[in-house]
Formats: sequence, C-alpha cells, structure tokens
Amino acid sequence: MEIKDIKKTAEREISLVKTLKELESFENKYLGKKGILTRILRSLKELNPEERKKIGKEANELKEFLQKEIERKRGQLQEKHIEEKEKKEWIDITMPGKKIERGHLHPITLVRTQIEDIFQKMGFSVVEGPEIENEWYNFDALNIPKEHPARDMWDTFWLRQNELKMQNSKLKMSQRLLLRTHTSPVQIHYMEANKPPIRIIAPGRIFRYEATDASHEINFYQVEGLMIDKNISIANFKFIMEEFFKEFFGRKTEIRLRPSYFPFTEPSFEIDVKCSICNGKGCSVCSYRGWIEMAGAGMVHPNVLKAVKINPEEWQGFAFGLGLDRLTMMKYKINDIRLFYSGDLRFLKQF
Amino acid sequence: MLFSYDWLQSFFPKKLPAPKKLAELLTLHSFEVQEIKKVDGDLVFDIDVTPNRSDCFSHLGIARECSAFTNLKFKIPACRAGRQNAKLKEDKKRKIKDFIEVEVENKNDCLRYMGGVLLDVKVGESPEWIKKRLIACGVQPINNIVDIMNYTMLETGQPLHAFDLDKLKTQNPACRTGRHSLKLKTKIIIRRAKRGEKIKTLDDKEYILDKNILVIADQEKPLAIAGIKGGKAAEITSKTKNIFIESANFAPTLIRRASRSLNLRTDASFRFEHGLDPNLAEEGLKKAVLLVQEIAEGTVAGKRIDIYSKKVKPKKIKIYLSKLEKLSGIKIPAKEVKTVLKRLNFKIIKEKGDLIEVEIPTYRQDLVIPEDLIEEILRIYGYEKINSCPPQISLTFPQKNPELSAQRKVKEILKELGFTEVYNYSFISKEDTRFFNKEYIVELENPVSEKFQYLRPSLLVNLLKNAKHNLKFFEAFKMFEVGKIFQKQGSKILEKRTLAGIIVGEKKEEGFFVLKGYIDSLFDSLGITDWFYDEFQPRPEDMKKLFWHINKSAEIKVNQEKIGFLGEVSERILHHFDIRVPIYAFEMDFEKLIEFITEEKEYQEIPKFPSAVRDIALLVPMYEKTENVQKKIFAAGGDLLIDVDLFDIYFGEGLPEGKKNLAFHLIFQAKDRTLSSEEIDNLMKKIIYSLEENPEWEVRR
Repeated sequence: MEIKDIKKTAEREISLVKTLKELESFENKYLGKKGILTRILRSLKELNPEERKKIGKEANELKEFLQKEIERKRGQLQEKHIEEKEKKEWIDITMPGKKIERGHLHPITLVRTQIEDIFQKMGFSVVEGPEIENEWYNFDALNIPKEHPARDMWDTFWLRQNELKMQNSKLKMSQRLLLRTHTSPVQIHYMEANKPPIRIIAPGRIFRYEATDASHEINFYQVEGLMIDKNISIANFKFIMEEFFKEFFGRKTEIRLRPSYFPFTEPSFEIDVKCSICNGKGCSVCSYRGWIEMAGAGMVHPNVLKAVKINPEEWQGFAFGLGLDRLTMMKYKINDIRLFYSGDLRFLKQF
Repeated sequence: MLFSYDWLQSFFPKKLPAPKKLAELLTLHSFEVQEIKKVDGDLVFDIDVTPNRSDCFSHLGIARECSAFTNLKFKIPACRAGRQNAKLKEDKKRKIKDFIEVEVENKNDCLRYMGGVLLDVKVGESPEWIKKRLIACGVQPINNIVDIMNYTMLETGQPLHAFDLDKLKTQNPACRTGRHSLKLKTKIIIRRAKRGEKIKTLDDKEYILDKNILVIADQEKPLAIAGIKGGKAAEITSKTKNIFIESANFAPTLIRRASRSLNLRTDASFRFEHGLDPNLAEEGLKKAVLLVQEIAEGTVAGKRIDIYSKKVKPKKIKIYLSKLEKLSGIKIPAKEVKTVLKRLNFKIIKEKGDLIEVEIPTYRQDLVIPEDLIEEILRIYGYEKINSCPPQISLTFPQKNPELSAQRKVKEILKELGFTEVYNYSFISKEDTRFFNKEYIVELENPVSEKFQYLRPSLLVNLLKNAKHNLKFFEAFKMFEVGKIFQKQGSKILEKRTLAGIIVGEKKEEGFFVLKGYIDSLFDSLGITDWFYDEFQPRPEDMKKLFWHINKSAEIKVNQEKIGFLGEVSERILHHFDIRVPIYAFEMDFEKLIEFITEEKEYQEIPKFPSAVRDIALLVPMYEKTENVQKKIFAAGGDLLIDVDLFDIYFGEGLPEGKKNLAFHLIFQAKDRTLSSEEIDNLMKKIIYSLEENPEWEVRR
C-alpha cells in the first residue's frame, strides 16, 4: 500500500474516533509497536537506498502528521470528557461554607493600632506610662493646683493607703496615689527623662470616678500627644491634627479649633471634626451641633515646662488628648461605650 | 450654666446676632453653647463656662464676651423697675452704723465684706419680669427680697444674702431697754465656726460645723454658712420689715473645703470657690440695694459697710508681638491686635516697638502670663484665621518600642489561633477577692460601688465572668486579654502587664492538652525556644492552689524562669461563678514573656536524605510522665533520632490494672546519607534496651 493511501485511510478513521479508548486503539494501530507505520519504518532497511529515502521520508512525515492529529484529537476528547463529567458533578453552591473559626481583636485595639501607625509615619514615637500615678504627676506638675475647682474636671479614684494617713504633710499629699484620670502624666514622665525636641504619642487606659451610661465609663482610653521644639506653633498643631484626622476618617475630613481651658495648656483648644453624617448641618449623631468634639489640646503651659526643667523661653509646642473610645465609636457607629468592656462575644466577633 | 438671650440683649442698645448665630459665635470665641431651649417666649442658652472664667458666671460676663467678638457697644442695663434711670436715695438721717456693726475676725478668710441696710421694706411677690428671668435660668422665685438677691447674682455674678435685721440677736442688754423698733444695734461677726456648732439652713436641714467652716454670726449663733447658704434664724419672711444685705468676698479654698465637707453646693459656693473679684462686691451691692428700693419700696440707710483691707488693683501684662507670632504661627498686624485688646477692655498703657503693655480689669483674675493674653487675642481674632502649616523640623525616625511590638505580635498570633480579645474592667468586687491573698489586693478609697471596689490582682476573674455571660449564647469559645494587674507589695503597689486567656467547650480529657498546644504554638510563633511545663507544687499559703485543679495545672517556664500558669480552673471557682462546663485558662507575666521573644530566625537546610519512621509502644505505670519516657528515648537514640511523637495513649480494658500503653513515632534522619535499615535496627535495639532498664516499663513487641 502506498503511504498516501495509508494517510487517507488514517484520516478517515481518526475523524470517526469518538472516545479516548478508540483513540488509543487508533494510535496503536498506526504507531504502536506493531502498528502499520511502525512496521513500514522498521522494514525500510530491506529496501534499496533510493526507495528507502523516498518511502522513509514519506513515512516519517506521516508519523509526525499522525502524532499531531492524535494529540489534537486527544485534547478535544479530553475537554469533552471533562465537560461531561463536570456536568454530572453538581453541588448546591448555596449550601453554607465550612466554619473556620477565627479570632477577633478588640475594636479599640484596631483603632489604636491605626492611630499609632499614622503618628509613627509623622515621626512620633509611641510611649506608655503607668496607670497608677501620684497626685504630683496627675495634677501638680500639670499646673493643676490643689484645692482648685479645675480639679473637678477630673473626677478621681483614690487608692486606699493606710500608711499615708498618719503623715499628712504637704509633701506627702503629692505622693497620694490615684488612678490616672488622663494620659497627660506621661508627658511629665517623658520630659523628665528626655530632652527636647520631643515628638510622642502615649495611648493608654484612664479612669474617671463617675456614673456609667452610654457615653461614660469608669475606665476608658486616651491617646496623649506631645510635640516640643524651638518653633512649634498653633499653625503646626493644626497641620498635624488635620493630617491625622484626614488619614483616619478620609481626606475630605474638616476640623476646627475652638477655645477651651486646660490648666496645662495656654492657649487651650477643643478640636472638633465636622460631622460626616450631616456634613455640618446638624443631625442626631452630632447632637445637632454639626461638629463632634474629638480632642482637647493646646500649647504646653510654661509652668509645665518649668516643672520638668525645660526652658519655656527656648522650647515650645503642643499637647493633645484624643478620646480613643470616642474615635472607635465614630468609626464603627457604636452607640454605647459600655459594649467595649462587656466582654460580649456577640459584639466582639463583629470586628 | 443657663443664660437668657433676652437678658443678654438688655446689655446692648443695638440688636445682638440671632440666637443661633450668637451661639455659634460664643462657641467659636468664648465657650461652647451646649443647647438652646425655648422658655416662656425667651431663649435659654446652656453655656459650658470654663472653670477659669468666674467672671462669666453672670450675664454681665457673657455680655462682655459678646461685645468683644461682635464689636457691639455694651452698657450696664438700667434698673427696670418702672422708673427710668432710678437712682439710689440714701436716708441721711438714718445711718447704717446705728443699726449694725460688722467684725471680720480674719481678713484672709474674708477678703471684703460689704453690707447695706434697707428699712420698711414690703416683702411680697416679685414682678413678672424678675420671676420670668429667674425661671429661665432655673432659679425658683421665693419672695421679692430673695429674688432680687438671686437676680443680682445672675446678672453681676456677685452672690448676695439678705438677713432679717430684726432677727439678729444682741447680747448687750442695755440696748434692749430702748425703743424696740429702730434703735436696736446689733453686731455681725465673720468668724470660724466652733467645733460642734449647729446651724439650721433655709431648707430646714441641720448641719454640724467645725473650725474649717466660716460663718456669719450674730453674738449668739451662726446666721449663715459664709458663702454657701443662709440660715433659718434670720430668714426673710412676709413679716420682715428691715433687712441687711451682705455682699462679700470669701477665700475660695475655704469655701471649697467647707462646701465639700458639708456636701452642700450652692450657686453661691460655686461662684466663690472659683475666685471672684472683690471689686465686684460693690457693683453687686449697689444693684441689689437699688432693686430693693425700687421694688420692695425700702428706705436705704445712710452709708454702707465696707471692710476691705487689701484692695485688688488691675494687673499689668506685657506681650511681644514677635512672641505672638512665634506661638501662633501667623502674623497679625499690630493694629488688629490693639483693636482686639480694646474690645476686651484691656487698657494699652505702653507701646514700644514690638512690645505692648496692657492693664487688665480686675474681673479678669485668670490672666497672669503673656500666654494668657495671647490666648485672648487669638480667640477673639479667630482660630479659624490660623491656617495650618507643616512644621519645619529635623527628619528623625520614631524610637522603637519593643514592648508595644510584642503586644501587637502576641495579640495577632492569638487571634490567628482563634482567640477573641476582650477588654475588661480594671476592677473586681469585694466578693471576687475571696480567692486572693487579701494583703496583696489594692482597695479604692472611693469606689463607685461594691462591684468595683478593688483593683484586679489577676485577669482571670473577669475572664471567667465573660465566660459565664457568653455561655448563654455560645457553646465553645476562646478569649484573651492583655492588661494591667495590681498587687500590693509592702508599701509599694506593683502594676504588671499580664496576658491571660480561657478556653471554653473542650472535653475534660483533652482540654488541658488543647490549651497546651495553643501555648506551644504561641511560643513557637514568638521565636521562644526553651520552654516547658513544670509540675505545680503550691506551698500551703499559696492562694493559687484554690484557683487551679491541683493535678491539671502547671507552671509555664521559659529558660528555667517561671512566667505563668496554665491548667483547668478548679471547680470551687467555677461553682462560685455558677459555671457548669470545664474551663481551661492561662495567665502569664507579659513583661517577662517579652524578654524571651526573638525575631531572629536562621534558615536550616532542607534535608537531602529521606527520614525513616519506626513505631514503639510500651506499657508503663499509670502515673508515669510521658516526658520521662520521651527523655529516655531521646537519650538512647542519639543525634540520628530527630523526633519522638506520642500518637496514642491507651488504658483500661485488655491492659493490666494501673498500667497505660504509650505509642510513639520515632523519626530517624541523617544529614549526610540515607540511613540503612540495619543502622536503624541497631538504634531501636539500643532504645528498647534502655527503656527496659526500668523494671516497670515493658516494651510491647
């Protein structure tokens, strides 16, 4: 038989192949150990050189051709086979996914981390201070005199110290222990140990003696900030705060400063963020004020600098205290501060 | 503090901005307006006056602020008692000294004492306009005399008190013999109360006084608690004819202490404790006397009493415009600065180049240093005019905080292990303290309630409460907390950051080992290498023994150092919290833990040659520790034995009583070759031989 006849037959046969099994027998028939083409190629040596050359070439070409055809066919059949198989393998994709238990971080941790990251990018170091303080660090050094009504701004938990009751001298009074009512004492600790320039934030838990309700707790969190250098101004403070709030709430966020009073800053401000719900028009979220109070702040009072032996003629700067709980509540639209300390997994698993 | 819009308007001939606009201006330049309420046709502002501004605890003060930021001219309102421009008319014949004499015992307690006498007053109801304003400001009208005192206080900020002159007692019997009505001269003494002295106040409450409390007394008894509240003894009633009006200035600290110790706070004590300008006493008295003359038709006795030894004079403060610029970050033209100062009634007394010196009215006692003045200029000028500007500072990296990064890492790992983070209160109740050694527990002097009376000496108590709560909704969960605990040590109080967690929902047989697995995983992720669990051997006084199941708890040790505890929580504790499922818990000293955390990791070459696994099973006594068996296998196996993995424990049916079967996978591997089975067989023989040196151990073949 002529090679071209073999080719014709093979072409016709392969076009009729319907399954992978049939393809396999087809392959065997032509290219197998005893296949038609294999035999021809093997018998070449019996031919004279001229014929060997001619037939050899034709046979090899046909072999290549068939191999390609078989691969092509195999591809087609395999695809068809997979398609049919998968058609039969139906599952109900609306069935629930397998439960993979994962843990959750507390929302305040999440927000705290975010705040730390933003300030660290602006070159602020993150430091911490003790939760138990004495009167000097919590009040006196911060220019909050004893017996002054300004102290009423911070309702304080005092620790029972029987050994101190005996000696009631002025000096001892300053040693009286309390639960810090703000993170501002960290300013004092830090400035005692470090010389300016200073750029820190100090997140931490603070305590207030008060009745709890949806917006008041006996323990909560604050982030203190302090920046001291030769020329740090209110305009610089406004810049840092704007950058922070824009990073935190989004670039469109607007802030404003309004006057306030803290004994340890002069001038003192309150920082308001424009309510994002009503865009400043007033709604229930901002108690119809259009703005939401986010932090107390001001330029560090010269008396505070003097208390830590920093020359106020040479150095100046700002300090602020951000309410971490308030920020977290804003971010996640949480309406009750007590949820943070409830340990309720139905709340915690949402974060 | 409440302020009437109508009243504020009365200070201004021109119209004030509309209420909403005025509130906004007040918020941006002076004090936050919390709320505007409608009361009987008037609008009432609830203003958050800051404690440094005692001059603004009055309509006069707020009006001055309004004038400063609106630039509207303001004047003290005329007396609105029917007649325009009413003037004070003193009866020259009847002199005050014929009726009363005042003695201030200590001028440091009472910086100024002023008084006026009005005769033949008609006590009755106040006119509508007074009542309306009082009600708007939350003060209950009583009678015209008392109302005028309150009205004057709300307008000027000076607290006043009226006494029924005829009720004051004198001990001078000679006087009593005279004609009773007008000649009787009495004496008022401003003195410290005697210990145990009593007073009945206007609200019919009795207070026991002491030497730290200042009183206004006649020669017999206290008539009023100075600066705080009047007494019943000299109360103004409908029968009152002659009155004595007091307008004084008391030492703020004294009033504050007295008010606290008596737990009695009044509008007057609030103002006094914040420190008032003694010069205000005069304005207050004048206004009150005039109003009584006009409304209660009293006759004013000639002259006033005024005991004022150290007259307060205006302060002078210098500021440099360069300092203003340096602090604010903006340049404000000198002309504008001066305009603002004038609007605040600060008198410019000197100008020299960069320097401006001003005289501050005495009512602004809060202003002391140049920075105070800078704040005044800026807030009136407007903080909104300060444009933000990036600071010019040297480029420095923030310092690293290893403790903080450790905290983040630990939390992240535990989260990945399926633990949920909680934040609990730093407090525990009195009842919760029973499982702790009392002498270590820190107590609050002033707890909000018994529930929060002590500082937590451990994180576990509150975690168990969390467990109890969450068992209502979930069967299985894992929680952790990182927080401070507090312990007394001698006279010191230690504050330690601690890590604790609980697992709920594990079976009793497995719980301990599940927990141990989590801790292993935590340590491994933290790069800690040398840790183990040591048997807990409590001393008799150790309170921890109450907390943990004695046989299912262990000390966690890293590098031989104790850093914490883990185990099953004792049933006695669970009973206390009414929990009916086993709970596995751990608690670690976080500060110690982080000492062992390391970021260092070094790549170990992936083994080129295959490992071989052989199993071994042996019978050992029930109370034998697995660790002992493992140690023995490792010791005999040598370097080629790279792991010993317990995969089965069995006891009970089919085994001798008191024995258990332990089964291990032994994994052998060499770095430089494939081990031959002969080599491994020899090692196994050596291991078996070594194990059976112990007569109670039997290797099963």
